[in-house]
Amino acid sequence: MYLDMHSHSVSSDDSRATVEQYVKWIQVLRKRGHTVDGIVLTEHRKFDFDKDYSALASQYNVLVLKGSELDTRYGHFLVYGVTPALTREIDFSDVRMDARALMQAARRHDAIALPAHPGRFGIGLTDYIAQGESFDDVEIVERLNGGSRQGENERADELCQSHNLLGIGGSDAHLTSHIATCMTDFEADIRNESNLVDALLGKAFQPVWLEDIVNGASGS
Amino acid sequence: MAMELEYDRSLYGVEHKAGPFEITDEIIDRANSSTGETGPAFLSDEGAREAGYRGRIAPPTLCCILVRQVSLPDVKVKFGRTQMHAGQRVEPKAPVYAGDRLTASSHLKDVYTKTGRSGTMVFIVWETTFSNQDGQVVAEVQESFAKRE
Repeated sequence: MYLDMHSHSVSSDDSRATVEQYVKWIQVLRKRGHTVDGIVLTEHRKFDFDKDYSALASQYNVLVLKGSELDTRYGHFLVYGVTPALTREIDFSDVRMDARALMQAARRHDAIALPAHPGRFGIGLTDYIAQGESFDDVEIVERLNGGSRQGENERADELCQSHNLLGIGGSDAHLTSHIATCMTDFEADIRNESNLVDALLGKAFQPVWLEDIVNGASGS
Repeated sequence: MAMELEYDRSLYGVEHKAGPFEITDEIIDRANSSTGETGPAFLSDEGAREAGYRGRIAPPTLCCILVRQVSLPDVKVKFGRTQMHAGQRVEPKAPVYAGDRLTASSHLKDVYTKTGRSGTMVFIVWETTFSNQDGQVVAEVQESFAKRE
């Protein structure tokens, strides 16, 4: 199944898209022949425990999961499977947190944290590794990011190859029409955030571009 | 260690009042001119009545202009050297009519940090509520300022 692993709704300070607009736009993509099964809302520096999108998800037949995108001193990290206990241990608003501590805390609480857009110039994990930092717990990175500038996804690609890392894909949408431009193709059937963490740990997935996914098949 | 922002937290919960702002035809003309607004309801009483209003209305973004006339205190954020305007968003709640007298009430909504391509920034967010002479809320405007390293 195809999930957009990285998106921002109006709950993030820099997005103007509502979740309803996203799921409606996915209907447009489906009419164009693309397969989009769901999205993960990864709001900046927070987790929306209080938000329930199940009615929208059901109405439009789109899986809507919740995660977070946190700022760390080593770039942005996507967190899936967020629990109340994790948010008690980690201050999600701390933009200088140590990404290594975040990754370890996430696993202790049955969640998983991984680098977003690692090839991003200036703030991507690639640059921190080049500066001599090491991140032994990183096994997966966001290999395809829909908001990347020219060369940044290529740098993520090189990182995956040189460090033998797995990759996911996410649109990093902040605008309605950007949703699902990049996704992750999972072998597993995912119904909730816990399934998503299990699927990531299961390592049976690959990043894909929307344009390559027509009628559920990869065109590449 | 978490980044501890230093600023005047005593400003939370304090309302800063401004106004009244007289909504004259001239102000509406100028607002229309600045945005190229040509909707009949914004141009005349007749056009507005045909659209179902009791009289000429101001464009919804008028309060985005008025909010710049609200005097806000210095939040005294100890971060960076450069401050810039970082954006506005307006939520219209009710029509603003020519002849209305609006008042504004502003409060500090949030101060937070974020990181991105251009480094760490601190955002200062003010929220201003505009009400008419009857006490009806007509718009809520959120305005942000950013400080850079």
